[in-house]
Amino acid sequence: MAHIRLIEDDRGTADEIALELRRNGHLVTHYPLIGDALEAARDGEPDLLIVDRQLPDGEGLDLIARLRAAGSRTPALVLSALGSLDDRVRGLRAGGDDYLPKPFALVELVARVEALLRRPSDPRETRLIVGPLDLDLLAGSATRAGRALDLLPRELKLLEYLARRPGQIVTRSLLLRDVWGYTFEPNSNVVDVHIGRLRRKVDAEGEAPMIRNVRGQGYVFDVPG
Amino acid sequence: MFPADPRARATLRWGGAIAALMIVQSLVAAAIFWALLNASHARDLEQSMASDCRFFALTPIGERTEELREMLTRDIHRERFLALFDASGRLIDGNIADRPVAPAGGSRAFTTTLTPTELPGKQRDVARVTLCPLPGGQQLLTGFDLDDAEEALRIAEHALLIGLLPGFALAIGFGLIAGRRAARQVDAVRQVTERVVAGNLAERLPISHRPDSFDLLSSHINTMLDRLQSLVADVRAVGDDIAHQLRTPLTRLRARIERGMREADDAREFQAVADAALVEIDQLLGIVAALLRIRELEDHERRSRFAPVDLAQVAADACDLYRPTAEDRGVRLHCAITPVTMVEGDASLLIEAIANLLDNAIKFGPKGGCVTVTTRQSGDGVIVTVADEGAGIPPGERDLVMQRFYRGRRDCHGVGLGLSLVRAIVDMHRFTLRFADHGSAVSLIAPAMLT
Repeated sequence: MAHIRLIEDDRGTADEIALELRRNGHLVTHYPLIGDALEAARDGEPDLLIVDRQLPDGEGLDLIARLRAAGSRTPALVLSALGSLDDRVRGLRAGGDDYLPKPFALVELVARVEALLRRPSDPRETRLIVGPLDLDLLAGSATRAGRALDLLPRELKLLEYLARRPGQIVTRSLLLRDVWGYTFEPNSNVVDVHIGRLRRKVDAEGEAPMIRNVRGQGYVFDVPG
Repeated sequence: MFPADPRARATLRWGGAIAALMIVQSLVAAAIFWALLNASHARDLEQSMASDCRFFALTPIGERTEELREMLTRDIHRERFLALFDASGRLIDGNIADRPVAPAGGSRAFTTTLTPTELPGKQRDVARVTLCPLPGGQQLLTGFDLDDAEEALRIAEHALLIGLLPGFALAIGFGLIAGRRAARQVDAVRQVTERVVAGNLAERLPISHRPDSFDLLSSHINTMLDRLQSLVADVRAVGDDIAHQLRTPLTRLRARIERGMREADDAREFQAVADAALVEIDQLLGIVAALLRIRELEDHERRSRFAPVDLAQVAADACDLYRPTAEDRGVRLHCAITPVTMVEGDASLLIEAIANLLDNAIKFGPKGGCVTVTTRQSGDGVIVTVADEGAGIPPGERDLVMQRFYRGRRDCHGVGLGLSLVRAIVDMHRFTLRFADHGSAVSLIAPAMLT
């Protein structure tokens, strides 16, 4: 459970976000104004900030910049109706750790939140063992319960990315960004097709499924047992 | 005392400036003329007096009085002063009473007051004179009455002044007219821009048949207004597009939810209705996002973040991304990637463009066919081509397919934004998009990076 501070002036949006995050087991406190958030900052640091950009008493990025200047290292997720990519860059430059343009799917928000909260296991590890899965990243091979998985290099990368984030929602755009290295929304389900193939190789007939689809938006890597 | 209307003020400023300029110019011209006239008159007198001195020096001493009388008789204007003095300074003959004192060490000619003896009613007179020694000890005084000379100069001065007056009037008049004309031209621009601001974008400035630099400026402003008008029309078209494209699916969505709520009997059926609604809403959001992205790309501001991009790598990644999709559709994806030089661009946007072309090729190419992605270096730069074995886009439709929401084939899924997005990305990069003359191939041509 993580403590998340949500700074968002729109009541409806804030309620939806808070409900969804609480459903995922987080503690959410909501502040409609920058002033409130600054006041709360004196009571200690949360685990994560979610900050809207256009607030009645100022710009959300300024709040992050002020907290950063005061020494806060709390990761921040910036929300904005200004969806342009230049805004995204400005948001990240101002000290935001990720940027999510509105409108977004709640599952995308949860995925980004989890990605920020949970640091993946040491990326320098060359061998990754998660449940029955054993990935040898140096040799480029993988086995599930001793059964060799015949993976293409890209499939191995995908599996590694998922396996480092067990139980965490991972969306298509996160996969495109972190596995392929591009930030764009393809207009067809290309990523799903990749995952589908990977899933057929990883989850054989009769085995507990490890890659689970979440409402068509993302995936969760489950460790059986 | 100052006119409150800025236009009148502009007229006065322009007019005043032009008038002042012309007045100063005529004054300078008159002063130069006056100075030259004066100098020339003085020179004439000096030359005449010097020649008298030379003449009397050559005249034998006994004949000088006779010659002097002769000259005085010939002086019908009574403007000459001539006198001979002996060595002791006594008057021998002449038309003045006594010898004036020459200024010490001065030039030979000087101005002095004389006592004329042969001018009735005049006791004293100002004259320009020269005293010159003659052989035999005598001295000659030769001079001119300055009254007449001054009179002549005064007449010239009057003539100049009388000539200047209409000049001044002309200058002020012309200045005011020219100023008014300039102020009116500027005001015409102001009125047009005012009407444009008020919303009438069709307003244009008049251009004369023989344009001057002001007309050139007006024509530039007109060009700017043309661009503005087309941009606004564009924005309106986008608005219409969005409204039109969203209304249909929204109506459908509404009907579906309404029917679902009426007919669903249990939670599972409600869930199915909600799921279907969610899928449609996601599609709608997708349309909005794609439209916003096209607008954003057309803003061209993102160029500032361009970096060197390896198009071969981008094309290879796009191939990698689409290979499973192609296989699922029974399409062979053949990627012939050769190394190419770097180009200036944004990798994420470029893969989006190539992905859209690939998506189209896989969707619209024949089933069981082959889609080819090639990169190659050419003289002009880097060429990325996506080709399939279909009929391709008919030449007549090539401009249409780049427009928003155009769908060549109604039987396929999609909203018809793909190629206009590709076009926006290509335009933003100042790349070129080329359709093959035969068959179905689209090329993206990137100019070589300037080093």
